Formats: sequence, structure tokens, C-alpha cells
Amino acid sequence: MKGTAAIREHERLIHRRALRLALAGLCVLALVVFLRLTRGDWTIAPGRVFELLSPFLNEVERRTPEAIVVRSVRLPRLLAALGTGGLLCVAGVVLQGLLVNPLAEPYTLGIAAGAAFGGALGLMASSLLVGPCAFIGALVALVAVQTVAWRAGGGRERLILAGIIVSAFLSAGVTFLKAIAGERLSAIVLWLMGSFAGASPGAALAVWATSVCTVVPAWLLGRRLDAVSLGEERGALLGVDERRLRGLLLCLVSLGTAATVGSFGIIGFVGLVVPHLLRLAIGPSHRPLLLFAFLGGACLTAIADGAAQSIGELPVGVLTSMIGGPFFCWLLLRRGAE
Amino acid sequence: MNGLAYTFSGLSAGYNGTPVLRDLSGVVRPGLLTALIGPNGGGKSTFLRALSGLLPFRGTLRLGERDLSRVSRREMGRLVGVVPQQVRMGAPFTVHEAVALGRLPHQGLTTRRSEEDEERVLRAVARSDVEHLLLRPVTRLSGGETQRVMLATVLAQDPPVMLLDEPVSAQDPLRTARVLSLLRDLAAEGRTVVAALHDVNLAVAFADAFLAMKDGRVAFAAPISELDGEVLGELYDAPFEAYLSERGDRTWHVRA
Repeated sequence: MKGTAAIREHERLIHRRALRLALAGLCVLALVVFLRLTRGDWTIAPGRVFELLSPFLNEVERRTPEAIVVRSVRLPRLLAALGTGGLLCVAGVVLQGLLVNPLAEPYTLGIAAGAAFGGALGLMASSLLVGPCAFIGALVALVAVQTVAWRAGGGRERLILAGIIVSAFLSAGVTFLKAIAGERLSAIVLWLMGSFAGASPGAALAVWATSVCTVVPAWLLGRRLDAVSLGEERGALLGVDERRLRGLLLCLVSLGTAATVGSFGIIGFVGLVVPHLLRLAIGPSHRPLLLFAFLGGACLTAIADGAAQSIGELPVGVLTSMIGGPFFCWLLLRRGAE
Repeated sequence: MNGLAYTFSGLSAGYNGTPVLRDLSGVVRPGLLTALIGPNGGGKSTFLRALSGLLPFRGTLRLGERDLSRVSRREMGRLVGVVPQQVRMGAPFTVHEAVALGRLPHQGLTTRRSEEDEERVLRAVARSDVEHLLLRPVTRLSGGETQRVMLATVLAQDPPVMLLDEPVSAQDPLRTARVLSLLRDLAAEGRTVVAALHDVNLAVAFADAFLAMKDGRVAFAAPISELDGEVLGELYDAPFEAYLSERGDRTWHVRA
């Protein structure tokens, strides 16, 4: 059958492209891991770095300064950057699918602004409260956005509009907190700019645990996300409980965003650039897209962190926003042209 | 395929507190192509949305033996296929991928698409006349092609009930006839098929029964043979007259 042959050929083409992309991604990942672990202010030979990373390293060696640099500074920082990038990128894919809008991101929905406001509020009292307060802030923002959207009649467009309104309100709140922060102002400003410098092993582990909790359910629900991303009510007509799916995935995305914002500040636009480029290469199907997005986001953020570190410890959030901002504009103009 | 009857009484529904359907009662039978006709704003689309479970309602609405409000969304996906009036495609899936999503209600979270699923999908695209579009992104289809892809998705869903809101509004005359013939065949297989149609002559030519809606109420419900100038005149508030073709077919037109 001619149609069957064409489909098989198309699927083979997509598989080949995905395989090539996966290989390229893994090569980039290996290179990033190698460079981020072996390069730094303190020159340590690559062979020695990997010796120091061994789980069987004895107690005496673990206490040496170079072991502390590799195991407690470089490795957590690398893992934090990889996990955060992957998680934010997956959050972008999920939101873009749910809202059928390639411009959707944790920032568009006010989730990041909520986490930022909550975290800044927590930071005013104690740096220990940043994480929990960021999570509460993200959830409160999400509930506020959902409530405003629902009261305005529901629908995806209203959800994004509500996100913009709540974001604007919370950003004003953050500015207000900065104005009254006094001596804590510099801590809030630095945290909000986003950085992986000083990432603790615990924070890196928390981001990876949250990543697993987000990526696995999102991947399992990938086909339902496909149906929802086809358009308004398409998911519901294909047997998907859209409200439940949206509620579950938005909560997971909020949790993930809060975990990253709470620990490392605002690192914007990661979830916008990578998913869009990936869709052009491997199509809009969510299951492969989520996995590739995690890999791509992880690599992009770790590279950006490396670049930020090499330019005198510039906050990584500034760098991702400088890349992502123009890309966002390009996407908006392209969408307008379409 | 055994279709399922809809039975409804005291059915009311609307949007944002504004009632559109008012106290509807009646039956939609399986094994028939029922044409939903009536003037603009009469409540046809709202009625179809209520039947598809997308719109909250008051009153009684049963699908087969079951209260529609108690049927889960997933089960509705297996029981009822819907071709909406206006479709704006979101993600640029290929036609093949989009139609294959019609199998979603039959698959679990970890189920892989089977050979049988694939066969149903290919049969659906062939019956809907979109075989030549298989690898085209759904975002690059004309209005008529989009309608037929939606029909193919519903065929892949393989439900006992099919609801179609103006399924031929963007089709050329040849494809209009093909789509409506297909709907008649699907009804003859035993399914419940309801199609909102604006062209009463198409309803007369293809449907088995009609349900006429006006001002949110069922004005008439009868076999299609009972659709005549008197009914049409009352329904559209305009005089209708019949024209006979050379073959003896009768068509209805508003008297100028």
C-alpha cells in the first residue's frame, strides 16, 4: 500500500533524525561534563578529577582540598545546572502542549514570578526559608492564575492572560520587597539574577528528584498531551479528562519551577528555545520531545553556566535571558507572520 | 456495530447562565442518520455539545441505559466521536499522527499502538478521502481537508455514536455527496449518527430522520419523508416551495 510505505519511510526518517540528535546530544553532554569538572580556577589534571570522583575514595583523600573542590563544588554545581536546565525545559514543553501556545513558559503563567515573590519574602526573614516560601509562592500564584482564568470564563488564552496579570502584580511585589529590604537588598537582587555558584549537593539532589517526579508522569501522559495540543477541546473529545490532566501537570510544573527558583533564582527562557528547535527537528510528539528537551535544556544551561562562570561569575539567569529574550521576540514575530 | 440511543427530557443548557436549550425532550435513535436542521442560533451546536458531554446540562440525558453526566470522559471518547463545526489545529502533527490519536481512548498509558490500530487508521483515512494527505501537517490543510481529517479521526475512534456539526460546510459538491453517503453507510452499520446540516435538500437526500430546532427547542422530530414545505415554512418563518428535477427529485427553496 502506497500510504503505508510513505508512513514507514517518514517514521524511519524521524527515527534516524532522532537517533542522530540523541547521539549529538549525548556527545555534547559528555563534553560539557568533562569540561565543567576539569576546568576551573584551580587546575586539576583530568585523570585526577575522575579519580577523586570515585565512590570508593578513602576518607583521608576525601578531605583533601582538591577532593572538596571536585566533589563538593564542581560536581554539585554541574548537577544543579543540568537538572535545572532539564527541568525548566520539560516544564516549557508541558506548558506549551497544555496551552497550545509555543510562547508558554513557567514565566508566562506567573509560576516563576510567584516563586520569586515567595522566595524574596522568605529571604527577608532567613535564607533557610527561601525554598519553602518559593514553593508556596508558586502554588499561590498558580491558584490565583487558575482562579482569575476560571472566573473570566476559562480557556487557554485566558489562562495566559491571567498569568501575565498575576506576573505583573507579583513583579511589582518583588520590587516593593527590594525597596524595603534594606541591607538584604543585595542578597535578593543576586538571588533573583540566578546562579549556580555555591550550589549544595542537597540542592542538586533535590532538583534531580523533582526532575524525576516531573518527567516520568509527563512522559507517561505524553500521548494525552499530544491530543490536548491538537487544539481546543480536542483532548476532551478523544477521551482525555483535560481538567484533571491540566491540574496534575500544572502542579508538577509549579513544583519543579519552585524547586529551581528557590534554590538558584530566576533562570529564564530555557524552556522556550530548546523545545522550539526540537519540534522543528523531531516533530511535536510529546514522548520523544520531553526526553530530548531534558537533555537539550540540561546541556544548554550547563554551557551557559560555564560561560557565565568564565566571564567573572556573571549570573547565569542574565545570560539565558540575553539569549532567550531575542529568541522570544523572533518566535513572536514568526507567529505573527503565520 | 450497535449504536446507542439518546433519550432526553427537560433538557436545558446554555453558556454563562444564559439558557440556549430550553426544556428539550425526545429520542435520537441508532441505525439512522438524523439531520439536525433549523435556523441560525436555534441551538443545534449547543445541543450537539450537550450530547457530546462537553456542556453541563439540567434535566435528563441518557446515552443507552446510562445517565450521560455519570459517563467518564475516557468512556465518552470510546462511545462518542465528534466533528466540531470550527477546528483550529494547534500542534503541527501529520494527518497520519492526528488520525492515529483517534485510537487514544482505546489505549492505556503504557499501551503501544497495535497493528490493528494502524489498520483502522489507514481504513479511516481511505474512507474519509484524505489518504493523499497522510504526511501533510494538519496546520497546513484547507477548511474542507481539515473537516475530512476530523472525520477520519472519528472513524479511527470507531465509536457507536457520531456527532457532526456541519460536516460538509467546507466541502465541494462531489465531496459533500461522498461524506454524506459515508455517514449514511455508517448509520446503516447500526451507529447513531447525528449531523447538523444547513442545506435542507441535502438532509432530504441523505438523512433518514430529522430533528428541527428553533429558539432552543425541538420544533419537529420525524422521519425525513415528513419534511415538507409546511414544516420548513414554520421552521424558518419563510414560504418554501418545491421544485421538481427532470429525474423527479423534489428540492425545497425559499420563495423569493
